[in-house]
Amino acid sequence: MLLEILEVYARPDFPEKLWQHVLLSLAALLVAIAIALPVALLIRNTRLGAAIAINIGNIGRAVPSLAILALALPLLGIGFASALVALTALAIPPILINASTGLREVSKDVIDAARGMGLSGGQILSRIQLPIAAPVIFAGIRTSAVQTVASATLATFIGGGGLGDLIVEGYSRRGPEILLAGALAVAILAIITEVGFGALERAFTPKGLKIAQKRGR
Amino acid sequence: MKNRTKLIRAVPALLTVLSLLFVVACGNVGGTDSSGGGGGPTITVGSKNFTEQYILGNMYVQALDANGFNGVAKLDLGSEQIADKALQNGQIDLYPEYTGTALVAIVPYKGNPADLNSPKATYEAAKKGYAERSPADTMLEPAPFNNTYGIFVRKSVAEKNGLTNMDELAQASKNLTFISYSEFQNRSDGYPNMQKNYPALDFKEIKIVNELGLRYSGLESGEGDVGVGFTTDGQLTSDQLVVMKDPKSIWPFYYPAPVVRSDVLKKHPKIEKVLNEVSASLDVATMRELNGQVDLDQEDPEDVAREHLEEEGIVE
Repeated sequence: MLLEILEVYARPDFPEKLWQHVLLSLAALLVAIAIALPVALLIRNTRLGAAIAINIGNIGRAVPSLAILALALPLLGIGFASALVALTALAIPPILINASTGLREVSKDVIDAARGMGLSGGQILSRIQLPIAAPVIFAGIRTSAVQTVASATLATFIGGGGLGDLIVEGYSRRGPEILLAGALAVAILAIITEVGFGALERAFTPKGLKIAQKRGR
Repeated sequence: MKNRTKLIRAVPALLTVLSLLFVVACGNVGGTDSSGGGGGPTITVGSKNFTEQYILGNMYVQALDANGFNGVAKLDLGSEQIADKALQNGQIDLYPEYTGTALVAIVPYKGNPADLNSPKATYEAAKKGYAERSPADTMLEPAPFNNTYGIFVRKSVAEKNGLTNMDELAQASKNLTFISYSEFQNRSDGYPNMQKNYPALDFKEIKIVNELGLRYSGLESGEGDVGVGFTTDGQLTSDQLVVMKDPKSIWPFYYPAPVVRSDVLKKHPKIEKVLNEVSASLDVATMRELNGQVDLDQEDPEDVAREHLEEEGIVE
């Protein structure tokens, strides 16, 4: 079986599908970050804004991926664009929820102290709130990234390409080696994403917080 | 006191779980079972797991019911392998199979079924293959239509380029977009088979969309010019799609016929006449129409089958 799976990876169409999958996931994630982060920043100080953002985020997480894919179709037709729009919509909620919550969870005492020291709003954001919220924000991005890599398999149904093509082909042709090759590739991509973004998260956690985390505070 | 409260709370919960398990256990397991209204000897009819099979299976059951048998439906069994296994070990007495499929996947056949150049030759080869098995089966007269791969073109494109068959399509293909799916593109008797036989084939773009409804709607909306499906797909009743003729006959003929266990047929020879009547009442246009009623209009295959048989006067 392992040999047969490797033979699937040697197929001339495999690199293209892998690339489509990576491109789709990456693009969706980047656009989602570009939308969710500014929104989270804008509403960081208003309780109503935060509540709305969290609720939209939670609803977004509950909607089945396939449903959103189907909704994108009438607008953009079959192909990459529809898949991208749908995946972006799915990638936003975890980032929005985490960024919004992370920024608001920064201790009021710390912000008061900063204000007392004479820092402006913008300085408080860039020097206090963002660094403290960074681990939570990156955790949201990491969650979103892994979820997006997995959800990108659904693009196959609307002509978006990707590794889902192999999974469906394997299922239709009753060729378990094709199906497993596709599924395995997605799993490996997801693991790489998880580990990679985990490292990114650690890199962006301020040193002081790392020490505090180690000490269990 | 606390323990008694827990016990009292546990009872309704336990009852709920037990009744759910009971319902699930009694529910349909692996197939749609229903018993016909007729008296007489029981004949169990099976089917594979797609719309045309549900319709044919229901027709066989209803026709048998109307002719002194007690037709029992065990439809939606699965692939041809599963249906055939059920047939051979007596769980069903008959089911609808395609002549080409029998040669490709069921009976031992040396040679390429696509090389048989007539529906009759395909049927005779399949019939012979079935008769030589143990236990033997009899493949009755096929219905007079072919359910094979169909390559179709949007009407406006076909008219503009004067396309009526696959040769002409291949010549024009470099300006056209083909909407296909992964299985067809990669199986040796699919797209590679087309390219081998019509070497001029060279589509400008091939879009892979793994969802049948979307492929058809993609064509409708002009996101593609050429599509692939089965010749009896309900969507092909549309006058906006033109099916290309296949002069080289690159695919086997797939004519549907009831395959009956020979011992059952010997015991009840009347089955042959009853089912032949059903088969003779069908043609490709009718089958598309019936498939469309189920797939596009969401009607029940049992009702669609009954309406057709009533119209044909096979049942009251």
